[in-house]
Amino acid sequence: MREKLTNPEDVRTWPGTIPVEYVYTAGVAGEAYLRAIKERGCLAASTCPDCNIDYLPPRLYCERCFAKTDEPRDVAARGVVETFTVAHRDLDGRPLEPPVIYAFVRIAGTAGGLIHRLGDVEPGDVHIGLEVEAVFRPPAERVGSILDIEHFKPVG
Amino acid sequence: MPERVAIVGVGYSDVRSTTPGLSYKEMMYEAAVRAYADAGVNPRKDVDSFICVSEDFWEGTSIFDEYVPDQLGGALRPVHTVTGDGIHALACAAMLIRTGRARIVVVEGHSKHSDIRTPHHIHNFAFDPIYHRPLGAHPYHLAGLEMNRFLHVSGNTREQCALVVRKNLTNALLNPRAVYGAEVSLEDVLGAPPAFTPLGELDIARPADGGFVMVVAAESVVDDLAGEPVWITGYGWCTGASAVDSRQWGEAVYARLAAEQAYRMAGITNPFQDLDFAEIDDSFSYKELEHLEALRLCRPGEAGTLLEEGVTLPSGEFPVNVSGGSLGVGHLLEATGLHRVYEVVLQLRGQAGPIQLAEVERGLAQSWRNLPTTTGCVIILERS
Ligand SMILES: [Zn+2]
Repeated sequence: MREKLTNPEDVRTWPGTIPVEYVYTAGVAGEAYLRAIKERGCLAASTCPDCNIDYLPPRLYCERCFAKTDEPRDVAARGVVETFTVAHRDLDGRPLEPPVIYAFVRIAGTAGGLIHRLGDVEPGDVHIGLEVEAVFRPPAERVGSILDIEHFKPVG
Repeated sequence: MPERVAIVGVGYSDVRSTTPGLSYKEMMYEAAVRAYADAGVNPRKDVDSFICVSEDFWEGTSIFDEYVPDQLGGALRPVHTVTGDGIHALACAAMLIRTGRARIVVVEGHSKHSDIRTPHHIHNFAFDPIYHRPLGAHPYHLAGLEMNRFLHVSGNTREQCALVVRKNLTNALLNPRAVYGAEVSLEDVLGAPPAFTPLGELDIARPADGGFVMVVAAESVVDDLAGEPVWITGYGWCTGASAVDSRQWGEAVYARLAAEQAYRMAGITNPFQDLDFAEIDDSFSYKELEHLEALRLCRPGEAGTLLEEGVTLPSGEFPVNVSGGSLGVGHLLEATGLHRVYEVVLQLRGQAGPIQLAEVERGLAQSWRNLPTTTGCVIILERS
């Protein structure tokens, strides 16, 4: 290999890649969440009977007191923008045009929430405290992923 | 009664934006040689244990801890790696000594960021694979979310974050270890292209290469060594929830709790009065303000005012990041905390040259393991 190189800089480095593939097990609570999204177009939460805290995404256990939580229950996919950002760069650092709005949405009636895109709204019209709801893909197109939610949009 | 523990030797491999001429092993060797000369130790004879910090994905090698002993003089000796920040490793070294198991321990951390071709993809791999990563967003979107909430909750302003950038880039102009020193105006920072609003391009610390090695020793052997000791009198670390729904948006709880541990250990009750200066995490501009408040160096919501009043300038009552911080020096991955400690050690020894502060006895270094973590470390260092 070295003999073929004409640029002396080329012997200074050796390129390498790591092929990385996994399947991530969703688990009992995670599957309940993804099934709610895929099959019923809603989210799911689980409650700690001792702390009375509703986890969303649901957990099998309470991270505050370590008790086992109750069975996950369905929760409507709507809530409030707790914070948001307008992203001007994609994962490779290239300009994003148009920019993408991401928000952490605190889901109503729970202590939990999720980060997702905001849509059907201009960046200038988004504010902390904005009420939003999920826009789901058509049932036939859902695969059991957070991407079954296209984005969240302002309520009404 | 456990022994007191001191840092008796420090060394670094030059901080650069890129290091095409040296392998990471050669960088580590360079830093180690300087640290051992400073401490007056022979690694093959005097050192009882070696502790490195590294993360396999940044290194591009699985089980990277196998690749560290020889360039430190640690082959066939007790060696282990902490997958954490350099301050985690210093705390381990101090505890190893206080158990009596070791008298002299070497700590190492480095960044060879310029070798990484897809850093944002690796960074993205740190995000929750089921609930977050599928969005495919640039990892810094999380910083934009954090910053917006922090400003909303604390009342600090976007302009005050820009002042952090101006201060740290200006400070870096005088620091020979800093890569990104520059004269920037408030308008430059505020007018820079938006990145992840309210975060702009200049609010983000840029990566750098560099390595740091420190020799840590028990009080009983300090007098036999050449290096001027700086005492480790307190440390703490803490990790919050990985889940974005469980973390407290707008407050660096991990830093507050890590500091509480360190303050208790060092007997610090009023950090602003009991400490003289600090090197704290500023990997994004807002983080310096958020961390100042979490470290109880001011009241919640007052970090920006402290900055505006000049209190945290090198000439102020409580200088913060006189080195230029990560914004000015460059972000050094797992070695970032060790860089901060290095700056504190030089200040306490009176060896900081053009950035030397007058009459400093006690300093703090704090690190955050960057996005998407809620992990922070705090260490207290003293002259006598
Ligand atoms: Zn509970």
